[in-house]
Amino acid sequence: MVDAARQPLIEVKTYTEVEKVEGFVGNFKVTLREKAKYVRADRCNGCGDCAKVCPIEVPNYFEMNLAPRKAAYIPMSQSVPLIYNIDMDACIHCYKCVEACGPLEAIDFSMQDKIVEEEIGAIVVATGFSHFDPSPMEEYGYNRYPNVITAMEMERLNNSAGPTAGSLIRPSDGKKPQRLAFINCVGSRDKRFVESCSNFCCMYSIKNAVLAKQMNPSADISIYYIDIRTPSKGYEEFYDRARSMGIHFIQGRPAMITEDPESRNLFIHTEDIALGKVVEHEYDLVILNQAAIPQPDQNHMSSVLNVAQSPGGWYMEYHPKLRPMDSPTDGIFFAGACQGPKDIPASVAQGSAAAARASRILHSKSWQIEPTIANVWSDRCVSAQGKVCGICERSCPYGAIDYTQGKAAEVITAKCHGCGACVAECPHDAITQLHYTDAQILAQIRTLLANKPEEKILALRCHWCSYGGADLAGTSHFEYTANERGIKVMCSARMDADFIYEAYRLGAGAVLFSGCHPQDCHYITGQVIGAKRAKRLETIFERLNMTPGRFRVEWISAAEGDKYARVLNETQAALDAIPPADLHAEIERLRPDMAKRLTRLPNIPGVQRAMDHTEVMVNTILSREKAAP
Amino acid sequence: MSDALNKNEEELRIGVYICHCGSNIAGVIPPKEVVNFAAELPGVVRATDTLYACADSGQRLIKEDIKKYNLNRVVVSACSVRMHEPTFRAAVAEAGMNPFLMEMANIREQCTWAHGHDREGALAKAKDLTASAVSKVSFLQPLDMINVPVSKKAMVIGGGVAGISAALDLAEQNIPVVLVEKEPTIGGVMAQLNKTFPTMDCSI
Ligand SMILES: Cc1cc2nc3c(=O)[nH]c(=O)nc-3n(C[C@H](O)[C@H](O)[C@H](O)COP(=O)(O)OP(=O)(O)OC[C@H]3O[C@@H](n4cnc5c(N)ncnc54)[C@H](O)[C@@H]3O)c2cc1C
Ligand code: SF4
Ligand code: SF4
Ligand code: SF4
Repeated sequence: MVDAARQPLIEVKTYTEVEKVEGFVGNFKVTLREKAKYVRADRCNGCGDCAKVCPIEVPNYFEMNLAPRKAAYIPMSQSVPLIYNIDMDACIHCYKCVEACGPLEAIDFSMQDKIVEEEIGAIVVATGFSHFDPSPMEEYGYNRYPNVITAMEMERLNNSAGPTAGSLIRPSDGKKPQRLAFINCVGSRDKRFVESCSNFCCMYSIKNAVLAKQMNPSADISIYYIDIRTPSKGYEEFYDRARSMGIHFIQGRPAMITEDPESRNLFIHTEDIALGKVVEHEYDLVILNQAAIPQPDQNHMSSVLNVAQSPGGWYMEYHPKLRPMDSPTDGIFFAGACQGPKDIPASVAQGSAAAARASRILHSKSWQIEPTIANVWSDRCVSAQGKVCGICERSCPYGAIDYTQGKAAEVITAKCHGCGACVAECPHDAITQLHYTDAQILAQIRTLLANKPEEKILALRCHWCSYGGADLAGTSHFEYTANERGIKVMCSARMDADFIYEAYRLGAGAVLFSGCHPQDCHYITGQVIGAKRAKRLETIFERLNMTPGRFRVEWISAAEGDKYARVLNETQAALDAIPPADLHAEIERLRPDMAKRLTRLPNIPGVQRAMDHTEVMVNTILSREKAAP
Repeated sequence: MSDALNKNEEELRIGVYICHCGSNIAGVIPPKEVVNFAAELPGVVRATDTLYACADSGQRLIKEDIKKYNLNRVVVSACSVRMHEPTFRAAVAEAGMNPFLMEMANIREQCTWAHGHDREGALAKAKDLTASAVSKVSFLQPLDMINVPVSKKAMVIGGGVAGISAALDLAEQNIPVVLVEKEPTIGGVMAQLNKTFPTMDCSI
């Protein structure tokens, strides 16, 4: 900690929040809110005279609210930086602190939050984790029974810098506990709360038991567990040591804790799996090893940073095996428990790894980004012919389009992120996206629907989320219908209505329109644009009396492999439910309408050529199909 | 720029590579059948299978073929673009081709791994996905990556042990770092802990 404060190249900004992250790799613009401390960092010398005279006491979060702090405070004596804060919510404005501070004049009640902007090349997100509050678990009586505490409270009570100067006492009577029990997996591996394993609780529960035993060798200490998980180097040996010290390990998830209201002693009721029977044991103190959970502001931060979350709410890495530190956004990296619970050695290793990933960029003079951006065909833009339009400008999430009436719209290369919103929104087909042109995508659609189109489900997926969801379905071996035929674009904003009309004109059985959830969108509001268009299409197909289920709109994240498989299987089932003759009739009935909506298509540069070429492709596929046995 | 998008004058010479991925793909569908199918598609002048396209030998095959058959487009039917698009883009670039003239068809994650129950369906899909990639490459244009400048300054959000470790490593490489912490002190949970496993030393 102090090393970080001493390192001249590190500027530590505490009591500061990230408000906004804009830009892209190498060129992020981050807006910070430096919250007012009402104490000037350049003057405070950390003497603490203000806190001594301050008459107000409030609970200290750092001490898990087991001890108070003043309104003029630092969370702990070794705070870094050692600069006091005035908690304005608690302060009664008696100004005793100002007096105590005296000629240093470090206290300044006129201070205000400061908004600062930083130009940043790469970002490491290391926001850590939070602790599950066991109060909703009625069966354990936390908050009702004073002698049931959490592991974090234990850490403070057992700590020489903590509220009891390191002597472990019972909250009810201040006595030294002689019989202690730890319960593992409180809230973890529990379908009601947190399904996953919290990774480090087995180890810290053994640690805390060992420490208690060392302090009081005659103490009777038990750990209740479902499984003990000690897979890292030296951890199993640590577990062995605890057993040889006489700490009892009882396999069983306690069903209930009851309390003797007189002595305030506790009774743990559990099945002891080794004995195969229900037992009851009496304790002076019970410690709940509560689950690790994502930070309360993690959903919000995920939208600020434009990164995705795994099931459970942790940040999701680009690839769990091959790019574990990378977020899906180039230039943003994860480290530590914010990506999933992990202990200190793993968090430190990830911090170094993320630094190494980030420094590849930061040591470069320039960085390469994909050229899959938008381009205006100036001769097709109606603005150049004096008409009022500007739809592209309004649809661009990045303000990357320069629209002036009378001039053709123009894409500002450095600002365009390549979502494709403008391309699909332009009513005059005047914009194209490099690497995702209409010609290319229409050629793919025609090819995929060459053979028995009525049996096929054409699936349009966005690169970041739904394509990833489809990958995960495969990686997890969630089986789904092999009639799916996928096409990838960067964002649902690019999913042109024409693609869908063309699919139905060709006789597709069903079409899936699938992108990210709105909060996961890699292009700020790209998904919103896609979703609006999808809604419009749904209304059109409803009006045309298309059988429900043939056009499906779903938002599927890269973590939702199960959903991808389910949606496809449901779509297949919907398709199977339509009698073939009816489906055929419906396709034929809709075909002219679809064709009418597509009359402009051949005028789009490159499209006629692509159509002619795919004609050959389709015929080749069909003739091979006929030749096959 | 806009005109270049219309032009596609050169004769198409597409190479198609069907990966076995050991038994990950070949255990469900016969890659040779996809090869035979792809060989007939318009523009394809070379189609073959390879045990592991991503391995050195697989990449070498593609690179040598680009020269030998004078290929100007490449399709690799293998795994997800999230796995190996950078690999194959780099491989074709080494052989002098523009990396954006390579397209992958995902016949592993999105085919054999998801349709093990329906081998016939998986084979038909693998053929279609390969043909679709062949269609797409037929209209691809060479593109150049865009170079953007880099601000030589890092931000670390969160001053727990992970963030501190990242900030120190960056600063020691002479990179200025802004370490942002929402609480009044850095340290995170570790600063609140008593002694810590596995070493049992004090946490601060
Ligand atoms: C009871 C208990 C005992 C443990 N004992 C051990 C042990 O003995 N040994 C061991 O190896 N591990 C132990 N652990 C695990 C250890 O706490 C974690 O491995 C470690 O704290 C993870 O570090 P981190 O930096 O990822 O996250 P954190 O420690 O959670 O730090 C995250 C930091 O980011 C800040 N932050 C959060 N959100 C924002 C935001 N939006 N903007 C700015 N800043 C933000 C937080 O205030 C915090 O300072 C224990 C955990 C518990 C609960
Ligand atoms: S002015 Fe506020 S912070 Fe200062 S001593 Fe009085 S109550 Fe405490
Ligand atoms: S939406 Fe299309 S026609 Fe309208 S201004 Fe933009 S580019 Fe021009
Ligand atoms: S809408 Fe998307 S593709 Fe179009 S200019 Fe803006 S960022 Fe680029």
